[in-house]
Amino acid sequence: MTLAIPGNFMPRTAVRNVFSSGAERGARASTPLSSRSAARDLGVSPEGRSRPGAGARSLAALGMTAIFATLCALCCLSSHAADIRDDRGVTVHLAAPPQRIVSLLPSLTETVCALGACARLVGTDRFSNFPPEVQALPKAGGLDDASVERIVALKPDLVLAAGSTRAIARLESLGLTVAALEPHDMADAHRVLDAVATLLQVPGADAVWSRIRQRTDAAVARVPAGWRGKRAYFEVDAGPYAAGTSSFIGELLRHLGLGNIVPAELGPFPKLNPEFVVRARPDVVMGGERDVDQMAARPGWSDMAALRAHRVCRFGRGQADVIVRPGPRLGEAAELVADCLARLDPPT
Amino acid sequence: MIAPEAARARRRLAFALTLASVVLAVAGVMVGSEGWRPGALADPGLRDVLWNIRAPRTVGAWLVGALLGLAGALAQGLFRNPLADPYLLGSSSGAGLGVVLVLAAGATQGRAIESLAEDALARLGLVGAAFVGALIGVALTLALARGARQSTGLLLAGVVVGVVLGALADLVTMASPEALRGKQVFMLGTTGFLGWGACGTLAIALAITLPAAWRFSRALDALTLGEDSARSLGLPLGPVRALLVVLLALATGAAVAQAGLIAFVGLVAPHLVRRRLQAPHGTTLVASTAAGGVLLLASDVLSRGLWAPQELPVGVLTAALGGSFLLWLMHARRTS
Amino acid sequence: MTRHGLSVLAAREVSASLDDTPVLHGVSIELPAGCWTAIVGPNGAGKSTLLRVLAGLVPASGGEVLLRDRPLQEWSHRERAQHVAWMSQQHGEGAADLGVRDVVHLGRLPHLGLLGTPGPEDERIVQRAMAQTECAAWAHRRMGALSGGERQRALLARALAVRAPALLLDEPTTHLDPPHQIALVRLLHRLAHDDGIAVVSVLHDLSLALQADRLVVLAAGRVKAEGPCDHAPVRDALAEVFEHAIRIVRVGERWIAIPELAS
Repeated sequence: MTLAIPGNFMPRTAVRNVFSSGAERGARASTPLSSRSAARDLGVSPEGRSRPGAGARSLAALGMTAIFATLCALCCLSSHAADIRDDRGVTVHLAAPPQRIVSLLPSLTETVCALGACARLVGTDRFSNFPPEVQALPKAGGLDDASVERIVALKPDLVLAAGSTRAIARLESLGLTVAALEPHDMADAHRVLDAVATLLQVPGADAVWSRIRQRTDAAVARVPAGWRGKRAYFEVDAGPYAAGTSSFIGELLRHLGLGNIVPAELGPFPKLNPEFVVRARPDVVMGGERDVDQMAARPGWSDMAALRAHRVCRFGRGQADVIVRPGPRLGEAAELVADCLARLDPPT
Repeated sequence: MIAPEAARARRRLAFALTLASVVLAVAGVMVGSEGWRPGALADPGLRDVLWNIRAPRTVGAWLVGALLGLAGALAQGLFRNPLADPYLLGSSSGAGLGVVLVLAAGATQGRAIESLAEDALARLGLVGAAFVGALIGVALTLALARGARQSTGLLLAGVVVGVVLGALADLVTMASPEALRGKQVFMLGTTGFLGWGACGTLAIALAITLPAAWRFSRALDALTLGEDSARSLGLPLGPVRALLVVLLALATGAAVAQAGLIAFVGLVAPHLVRRRLQAPHGTTLVASTAAGGVLLLASDVLSRGLWAPQELPVGVLTAALGGSFLLWLMHARRTS
Repeated sequence: MTRHGLSVLAAREVSASLDDTPVLHGVSIELPAGCWTAIVGPNGAGKSTLLRVLAGLVPASGGEVLLRDRPLQEWSHRERAQHVAWMSQQHGEGAADLGVRDVVHLGRLPHLGLLGTPGPEDERIVQRAMAQTECAAWAHRRMGALSGGERQRALLARALAVRAPALLLDEPTTHLDPPHQIALVRLLHRLAHDDGIAVVSVLHDLSLALQADRLVVLAAGRVKAEGPCDHAPVRDALAEVFEHAIRIVRVGERWIAIPELAS
């Protein structure tokens, strides 16, 4: 966020924007940074409103602007340091906004780019493929066998990684700053988005999230009424491994108004007995193309009503990537599922 | 004391292993995803990489291989079986269980579901949990076999413990997908995360286990005469075998904790040595140690260099190198 | 019984089982110093088991074994090993990588312990043991490169290197050719008469066994007779346990066993 230096006059609309975004940040109040600035923002306003008269009011507006701008600038200067608590419970501290970022998880790569900081990425893991610009970046290994040498050679000031891999300990012992963030469901995705935005010192986390919400809500609206309350079976891998109610895919389905044949007690990605799936009689079957195509060949599955009536959602490789990663493309994931449902006839 | 040809063979082998170690060490510093340029030592950025990343990785790979080679020689001597490897007594499945427990506990940490056990596991970390797990696995085997009285009893107990602990680990990975992912990496093994701290730990482990194993290697010699003959020579078989098993567990645990389950090194290194050197166990233990170090270091350098900047999993290369050597051994034996 | 010297090893009413099958029933024998005792009997009589019980490798389920008039259990493992040397029937296939000298040096284990280093005295004893069994010439070779007979001589040297007052040998002549069998017999005589060792052997070859100073005739886990071959009862018992398939005859100064082919 570029803020005016004290003394410049800012147009009224700009003041309103600054004010409103400050109020939003205050409303969030989930990080020390925002609560500090929110307190200051809220403290400024009452003084400006008490001045009477049009000329006096514009003077007051200018004065308010100046004070506000100063405070915001101060705010900005003092908020160069960022602190978050990552997934390990460790406080990650950055003295200045990071300019060279290495991301070791595809959803984190997408998050950074969704916040508009794609240019600051200097390296990713080999599975990050969206947006297309990251494909040209140097690759630093996979999720768990990160190439320590490559990462260090890229001289990052922040490494974003998933969970508790051994790479994190090694990188930290070499003096790099590592934040372990891995979104597992929708609430997590929001939290990670905020955390990354805080670390990167970029605004707009809320804008991104509200865009995601809008897209998701639009997708929900597109689901035909006949599909509400129907039960789905989402297969994530041959095994069969299913997406349970407590997984993020399950959450997405729930959001779209669908039920899940896998109850919450079985966990997020249980390996099911194929018999269970047949007996549960799902109304719609979803999965990757390859898995879905060979479902009918499984013993007893060809009799499944959903398969017989072709109430099936097949997702190609790129589409599966979108649905599998709980990140900024949640909205797109919702749309993919909603569009598929819209194309099918709901069961009677 | 030793025949002149035997002494010559020993000197040749020692020279070969030393030379190989030095050459590979130099290669290890030159090979990596960032490559090598003449005048690389002058570039401070690259020098950092060399000193902080490649050097400890090279030294660490040799040390891990040495520990595995020693453990393999101990296992083959203890069980008088050329197919024995260091993972026989439940150390591998114990370490695997420790690793998945830590991973599963870590996955729930972010969601504020804390418990005393998870706290302890998080403090232990992956390395600590693997080491402790390996030791617990071997302890369970010893307990199940009621001390190391009989080799076959020990082997059977090791198999049982391995299967049971492996099943427990599978149960945990079913409940936790992060644990499943981490376990697969652990099973393949990697030398990529060895820093100077790890090298220190490994060196200490080697400094403890190798001299002790060498001092007690005469027990292994006596065991080759048969258990009854060894007992008739006054050898306290139970305690001595238990001690050797403990040394085996320490060496394997230390190696596995730092680098995961790297296959074939412990199995092949003693064979490599026996091909060139027929000697009592004292000498072959030391030689296996060095041979294991050379084998793993060679695999590590190749894994970095064959397909730079990509890295092949080191376990694949030890299997390829070790496996092809065993094949050649079999072929040579058949044609001779 | 103790004409030859003090009793080194003795069994008193010893019973023993192998895998829950009773093998020995109330065996009582004396093994005096300076005497070569041969245990003879048909297959399955329990000869090897008796030797193992005397060596302390198989626990006696009844009765006791006395070493120098003290029960065997009261001796520590190491002291027992220093006093009783035992050579097994198996012939060391596992020791293929060790050199002959390394194997013979193992015989000094009871005296050195696992951690002790051999001194010049041990070296001298090892040399002497190898000379006695005529394997000094190829002391540097690997066990795996030797013939069965050569390996056996190396293992015998190992047993001799213990320098124990009691020497228990289980089938020491299996792979030996006649010259070496005779050499062994001469060696056993020397060990008993010159060195005063209580030599006990289990020998399959009856004619060789008959050269011993004393015989113990064992059948079905019981002692049938015991004494020198000169005693008629011993000879009669021997013929009886072998179902009169052999006849003991004296040729010159020696007794030999002749197969009785006439039915």
